[in-house]
Amino acid sequence: MTDERGGETARHGRVRAPQDLAAGLCLIALAGLALWAGAGLDAGKLRAMGPGMMPRAVAVLVGLVGLALVAFAFLHAGERLQRWAWRAPLFLTLGVLGFALTIRPVGLALAGPLVAVVGGAASPESRPRELAFFAVTITAFCILLFRVLLRLPIPVLNLPGLVVL
Amino acid sequence: MTDLLSNLALGFATALSLQNLGLAFLGCLVGTLIGVLPGVGPIATITMLLPVTFGLDPVGALIMLAGIYYGAQYGGSTTAILVNIPGEATSVVTTMDGHQMARQGRAGVALGVAALGSFFAGCVATLTIAALATPLTRLAQVFGPAEYFALMAMGLCFAVVLARGSVPKAIGMVLLGVLLSTVGTDLETGAERMTLGSLALADGVDFAVLAMGLFGFAEVMRNLDHVETRGVVEQPIGRVFPSWQDLRQSAAPVLRGTLVGGVLGILPGNGAVLGPFASYAMEKKLAKDPSRFGRGAIEGVAGPESANNAGAQTSFIPLLTLGIPPNAVMALMVGAMTIHGIVPGPLVMSRSPTLFWGMIASMWVGNLMLLVINLPLIGMWVRFLKVPYRLMFPAILVFCCIGIYSVGNSPADVVLAAVFGLAGYALSKVGFEPAPLLLGYVLGRLMEENLRRALVIGRGDLGTFVQRPVSAVMLAVGLLALLAAVLPAVRRRREVVFTE
Repeated sequence: MTDERGGETARHGRVRAPQDLAAGLCLIALAGLALWAGAGLDAGKLRAMGPGMMPRAVAVLVGLVGLALVAFAFLHAGERLQRWAWRAPLFLTLGVLGFALTIRPVGLALAGPLVAVVGGAASPESRPRELAFFAVTITAFCILLFRVLLRLPIPVLNLPGLVVL
Repeated sequence: MTDLLSNLALGFATALSLQNLGLAFLGCLVGTLIGVLPGVGPIATITMLLPVTFGLDPVGALIMLAGIYYGAQYGGSTTAILVNIPGEATSVVTTMDGHQMARQGRAGVALGVAALGSFFAGCVATLTIAALATPLTRLAQVFGPAEYFALMAMGLCFAVVLARGSVPKAIGMVLLGVLLSTVGTDLETGAERMTLGSLALADGVDFAVLAMGLFGFAEVMRNLDHVETRGVVEQPIGRVFPSWQDLRQSAAPVLRGTLVGGVLGILPGNGAVLGPFASYAMEKKLAKDPSRFGRGAIEGVAGPESANNAGAQTSFIPLLTLGIPPNAVMALMVGAMTIHGIVPGPLVMSRSPTLFWGMIASMWVGNLMLLVINLPLIGMWVRFLKVPYRLMFPAILVFCCIGIYSVGNSPADVVLAAVFGLAGYALSKVGFEPAPLLLGYVLGRLMEENLRRALVIGRGDLGTFVQRPVSAVMLAVGLLALLAAVLPAVRRRREVVFTE
């Protein structure tokens, strides 16, 4: 991410607000991404706006705000960059991705405990056995609530040749 | 007047049906629970529970979702008073004097005054909505695309002014939200915009997915960043009913808070969050002895809590009359309405009067329920507060995942939400607030649509926005608010209001 690089420059530049610098770089990067992704779109005329006009105009504005933030970072003293935790984002994202991958082919019976246990490991205070028990309980509750009571079309357990729920 | 009465009668007939009463009750209960638990906001909750309402009729679904919303406002104050953690963003102010009262053994009185003040504010706000609905709807019908565009632009300016943190960052977030709203197939020309060839993005970014990423997943990551110490007050809660003297002391603050919160709540651009802060600042200024504030002054609970609830309800006004959601929760209501085939806007009132008035009447019913169910249930909420976060967040994760998946039955949405969660966490690390982004996203699509139409009518002349008086005034007001926010004098005041 751009922020890490913002931190690098903060150490040896005359940056007075590293956080603002990183924020500005973030916006510039996102604006650049939008301009690149929408490069082929026709802007049209004001009388008949094409699909590209609004995205391009707004992306330019985002970039300008980003530039302003970068400029401010050299003019005003501001906050330092915060420390990045890696554990919470990593485990949470892994857990959620696990859910997304298993919900269709297998079902909630696996996806539910998976996201609860893997995601639950994001907290340094988590206790494995308690978490495992809790994950199964909450999944059972959700199956009862969403599938049995509310009849939403969520796959519960799908083992080809054995069970399909 | 008779119109108003017959309309309200229709509304109450709808809201008092057994099913709708039950749904309002359920909504209030769940909402309060969510409000009580710190770390789960109303935005994440409503998204999680959207699938629950799929099977209901539209009136019932909206009544329940509205109940969750004001139940959450209400439950937030319980946590603020008992634990000194704001359960919701809007109850930050209540922690100051409410928690001090709790430590003096007056938690019950603080909770009681908050409940009574909220109830009063809710009654006034309900009547205000009912009274303003018809004239405002008529006003909306003379609005052209130019006026709609100007109104939304003004709303976004307010959102910047009212957002916490630095003004340029808030502007950046609003614009980023608008930019995000243009992703997906362009409705007018059918062109695919910035989808990077991905099929999942062809329909654009679903609002529920974005909200869940930014306010569900990212919020959990932020909460896990710092180890939380949750000290529930050990002192006895004490009697709940305020004494005669307490009531006398808080009557005027409740009145003022209702007024301030109600007026701010109507503003497009999430004015409702400012209500409690404004009310607190006002009470402190008006008090004979301002030094009592921060040490358990009952006025510091009564005023902001009333303002909070009044604003939460009057923010329905722009949604119900103009079809413009003034904040993210209202945007979710738009989502819920569209799922049930209702297009929010000035036509709702004439096309589905039972829905419109039923919802308004249910607000009052919900407030009464909150008053009746909450005070006796305080003991239960306290027990919920003792559930540690390490168990709470896995449950939140499971509910979030199921919620996102069921909105579109698509695993790709879940992946997208995870990406937004990471992005939201990264953005918050460099000092960006997610709320203005969400509002920009919500209004972005409507703005582009109206901009296009206005320019077609005005033959490509941007002057059309300035030549039409109403739109010119709204744009000017928005611009002034924005300029005022960057002026040093006002900026300092704004910081005082938000940090106090």
